[in-house]
Amino acid sequence: MMDDLKDKSIHLTAQMISEEIRQMPMYRGFYNEVQKLVSSSCVSNSNFRPSLLNAMRQTGLEVELRNTVFHWLRAHPGPQGRASSGAVIGSKEPILFLKKAQAQWEKRIQKSLTSMCTELNQVLSKCRAGSDKDEMTEKWTELSTYDIDLSQYRPVYAPKDFLDVLLWIRSPNHRSLDGEGSWDFSQIPLKVKTLSELKSLFQEIARGEPLLGVNPNMPAQNNLYQNLEAERIALGEKVIAGNHAPVAQEFLKRGCPKCLRGKIWAQVLGSQVKEEHVEHFEELKLFVLQYDMIVDKLLIKDVQLTASNDDQYFVFEDVLYQIMLCFSRDTEVLKIFNNSSSTPVTGLLKGKNPSFENSIVFPPSGVIPFHGFSMYATPFCYMYDEPINLYFTFRAFYMRYWFRLHEVSSHEQGILSLCLLFERLLQRHEPTLWTHFKQINIQPVKVVFKWLMRGFSGHLPPDQLLDLWDVVLGYDSLEIFPILAVAILSFRKENILDVDTLQNIEAVLADLSSLSVVALLQLSLMKDSI
Amino acid sequence: MRVAFCTDLEKSVLVSNFEKRGWIQVGPDEDWNFYWAGTITCRNIFSVDSGYRMNDFQAINHFPNHYELTRKDLLIKNIKRYRKELEREGSPLAERSETGRYLHLDFVPITFILPADYNMFVEEYRKSPLSTWIMKPCGKSQGAGIFLINRLSKLKKWSRESKTPFNPAIAKESYVISRYIDNPLLIGGKKFDLRLYVLVTSFRPLKAYLFKLGFCRFCTVKYDAAVQELDNMFAHLTNVSVQRHGGEYNSMHGGKLSVQNLRLYLESTRGKSVTERLFANISWLIVHSLRAVASVMASDRHCFECYGYDIIIDSKLKPWLIEVNASPSLTSTTVSDRILKYKLISNILSIVLPPDGMPDVRWNKTPSAEALGNFELLLDEDLAAQDDAGPSSSSSHGSARYGRPSNRQIIRKSGWQVAVRVVSTRKRGNLVLRCVTPEATRTSDVSRYCSSFFVLWQRKS
Repeated sequence: MMDDLKDKSIHLTAQMISEEIRQMPMYRGFYNEVQKLVSSSCVSNSNFRPSLLNAMRQTGLEVELRNTVFHWLRAHPGPQGRASSGAVIGSKEPILFLKKAQAQWEKRIQKSLTSMCTELNQVLSKCRAGSDKDEMTEKWTELSTYDIDLSQYRPVYAPKDFLDVLLWIRSPNHRSLDGEGSWDFSQIPLKVKTLSELKSLFQEIARGEPLLGVNPNMPAQNNLYQNLEAERIALGEKVIAGNHAPVAQEFLKRGCPKCLRGKIWAQVLGSQVKEEHVEHFEELKLFVLQYDMIVDKLLIKDVQLTASNDDQYFVFEDVLYQIMLCFSRDTEVLKIFNNSSSTPVTGLLKGKNPSFENSIVFPPSGVIPFHGFSMYATPFCYMYDEPINLYFTFRAFYMRYWFRLHEVSSHEQGILSLCLLFERLLQRHEPTLWTHFKQINIQPVKVVFKWLMRGFSGHLPPDQLLDLWDVVLGYDSLEIFPILAVAILSFRKENILDVDTLQNIEAVLADLSSLSVVALLQLSLMKDSI
Repeated sequence: MRVAFCTDLEKSVLVSNFEKRGWIQVGPDEDWNFYWAGTITCRNIFSVDSGYRMNDFQAINHFPNHYELTRKDLLIKNIKRYRKELEREGSPLAERSETGRYLHLDFVPITFILPADYNMFVEEYRKSPLSTWIMKPCGKSQGAGIFLINRLSKLKKWSRESKTPFNPAIAKESYVISRYIDNPLLIGGKKFDLRLYVLVTSFRPLKAYLFKLGFCRFCTVKYDAAVQELDNMFAHLTNVSVQRHGGEYNSMHGGKLSVQNLRLYLESTRGKSVTERLFANISWLIVHSLRAVASVMASDRHCFECYGYDIIIDSKLKPWLIEVNASPSLTSTTVSDRILKYKLISNILSIVLPPDGMPDVRWNKTPSAEALGNFELLLDEDLAAQDDAGPSSSSSHGSARYGRPSNRQIIRKSGWQVAVRVVSTRKRGNLVLRCVTPEATRTSDVSRYCSSFFVLWQRKS
C-alpha cells in the first residue's frame, strides 16, 4: 500500500516536472537536439527506445535532462520534494507571528523608501532622458565615471537595524519569566541542529578527511599526483567533463581548486551561460538604459561605500555597477518569493488610484538593497572575467541562499535560525565565553551578526571566503556560518576573555585575515562535544 | 652592548622597529652600528675622499654603487652586457628564437639610451612606426619627467623645445627610451604594475630574498590606448605619487591590491599553470637582473639593500622589468600599507643581522628559516655551492616523501626544486651518479632547470 502511494506520487511528480520542462526556455533547444538525434543513424526504428536513450547518453543530452530535473527539484521543495536538509517546507511562512513581523518590517522599509523619495523630490522610477541614456551607454563599462550626485541618499537600512528588529520579536507561545529570553533568541522556539547533527551533515569535514583548503600541498592519496591540489584538479576536470550537477556538488565538499571553481559552481547552480542567458542579459542592460530607478542610486551608493573602499574589491567596481543595476531589473528574481516569508514592496503607478491593478512590484526584482548588499556579489568578481558569467552565478547564489539572510522567517536556513544556532552552539560548547558575555552584558549575537548577514563577505580575504562558500554550496547549507562564528570566537577566546567592552571585543575580532577558515572548521567539527 | 642606530628618514615604520629591538638612536657622526641612510649620505660615506672607514660592527642599507642596478641607463647597459656574455659562453640560457629574440632573457622592453644610442633607436623605430615609446629621465623618480611619444617627429619636437639643445654629442642629461607596453594586463579595465621588494645581502656570492607581500598599483582612470589619451598621465603611469593627485584617488585602499589577490584572480580566470609560469618568470627576471650587475657591484660586507622592483605584466601574462628602485618609498598610504611596510622592515632586520642582533661582517649571512618571515629565498649561491659539494647533491628524500617510484625525483637546491626523471644510474667507486633529464617540457620548468644547473656551469668554468 505504501509502495503504491509512493509510486503514485513519483509518477505524479514526474508528470508535473515534464509539464514544467516543456515551459522552460531550454526546452526548445533540447527538443531540437533530440529530433536531430532521432533522424540520425544512431537511432534505429526497430530498436527505437533503447537506441534513442543510448544516443542521448552518448551526446550528453541525458545528463542535461538529469540536471534540469535536479535543479527543478532543488527550487521546488514543496510536498512533492524535500529540501536537502530533509525538512518539508511549506512555500510561505507557516508561523504566524514571524509572518507578521516580516510584514511589519516590509512596511517600515516601504515607508522609509517613499519618504526618501518625497524628501528628495524623486519618483520611484522614471524614464531616462535622452542625454542621460547616451551618457550611460557610452560609459557602460566604466560606470564609476558616470557623474551623479548621491550625497543626499542614505541606505534604507543597515544590518544592525535588521538585528534590532529580530531581537524585538516575541513569540506569543512563549511566556518569559522575569525578562528571561530578552537577551538572546531563546524566546523564539525554532528547531536548530545540535553539534552531532551538524557533524553528520558536514561529514567529510567532521571525519577529518583531507580538505584542499587546509593544505593544498598535503600528499595526495593517489601516488600518481604530486600533492592534494594536483589530485583535486585532475578529479575536478573529470567532474566538469561529466557535466552532472549533483556530482559537481559532491566534489565541492572537499574543497575546490581555484582554477576550476567558476565552472563547478556554475554546474551546481545550473547557471552556465547559454544563448537565452545572453539575450536576457542584453534585455536587462536595455532596461537599465531605458529607465532610472531610485533603487539604482541606492545600489550605486552602496558600491561606493563598500566595495570601492575595500582594498580587496575596489578594482572591480565598474563590473559591480553593471551587475547590481541589471539585478534590480531582473524579474526572474521574483521566484524567491515563492519560497520565502516575504513579499515584495509595491509601488503605485503615477496618478492612479490605489488599487491592486495599479500597483507594481518595485523594484522589478522585488529586492530592496540595504547597506552592504553589493558585498553578496563582490567575491564572484575573482571567479569570472566576463560580467555575464558573474551575473548568472551570482543571481543563482542569491536566489538559493542570500535572500534568506535578510528576511524574518522560520526557515532552517534563515537568519533567525542561524542566529539561534550560533547562540546554542556558543552556550553549549563555549560556556566560559557565554558566561563572560553575560557578565559584561553584551549579547554575543551583536558581535557576529554582521558576519552572518553578509556571509562573511568583506570580513575574510577573498581566497578564504571562497573556500567557505565552497562548503555552503557543497553541502547546500548556510549552517556553516554560525559554526565558523563560534569557531572564531573560540580561537580568540583568551583575548576576548581579557576585555570587557563591545569596542574592545570588536577590536579583537577586527582582523580575520590570518585565519585558515577550512582548518578552523575542521578543528571545530572534529572536536568532541563537551 | 646595545645596538646604536642612525636614520636619515624619520619614518615610524623604521623607528618603531628599531626601538622594538631595544636599540638606541644616535647621530651620523657618532658611533652607530646600523645606519638606514639616504643615497646621498651613502655616496659620502663610501666616497674615497671622505676617508670614512666602517668597522666590523657596522651595517648600512645601500651598496656603494647600487646605481648600476637602479639607474635606468646603467641597468640596461648591464643587462645587455650580461646577455652577450652568456651568449659568448654558449650558455643555454642565452638561446634565441628564429626571430632573434632571447627565449629566456627577454625580460626588459627594447630600450635605448639617449643621446648615445639615438641612431640605433631610430633604426628600431622605423621597423614598427606605429609603436609607442616611453621617455624616462635617468636620474629622476616618482614619475617625474616621463612622457610618451608615438611619432618620431614628436621626439624631434621635444628636442627642439627643451632648454639644452638636443645634440647627441653634447646633451648632459641622459634619457632612456623604451618600447611602451601597449597591451598591459588589465583588471577591471584598469592598468596596474607590480611592486615587489627584493632584499640583497650580498652580490658575490649572490644572496637574494623576495618579499611575498608584494602589491599591484592601479591606475585610477580606465586604460584606453587611444592616441588622444597619451597625454593623460593618470591612466598610464602607475606611480602612487602621480596617482595621488588624480581626482579619483581613494585613500582607503590607495589603489593597491595584494599579490595574493592577483594570484587568486589569475588562477581562477586564466588557470593554474599559466599563473605558476608567470610567477616563476618573475622570480627569474629578478635573479637575472641581479646576476647582470653582480660582477660590477662592490660587494661590501657591511652592505645590504632592499630594492623596489617595478614590473608590468602584459595581456599574454609575460612579465616585463620596468625599473629597480634603491630607496622604495616607506611612506604608508593606507592602514594595510603601514602594516605591510612595518613587516617588511622587521623581516629585513631579522635577515640581515646575525642571531644576536648586532651587525658583524664576519657572520656568514645565512639566516635561519624562521628569520625569513614573509621573505622567501630566491637564490643563495653560497648554499647552492655547498649543496653541490656535498655527497647528497640531489635529494632523494623527495621520492621517499611522496612515495613515488624512484626514477622520478625532485631535485632541490637552495629554494628551487625541479622534477626530473632518472635516465640511467652508474657507479663510480663510492659515488652513485645519476643521469637526469627534466620531466616536463613546460617553459617554466626549462628555465628552472637551466638556472638550477646554471650554478654548476658557473663553477665549472
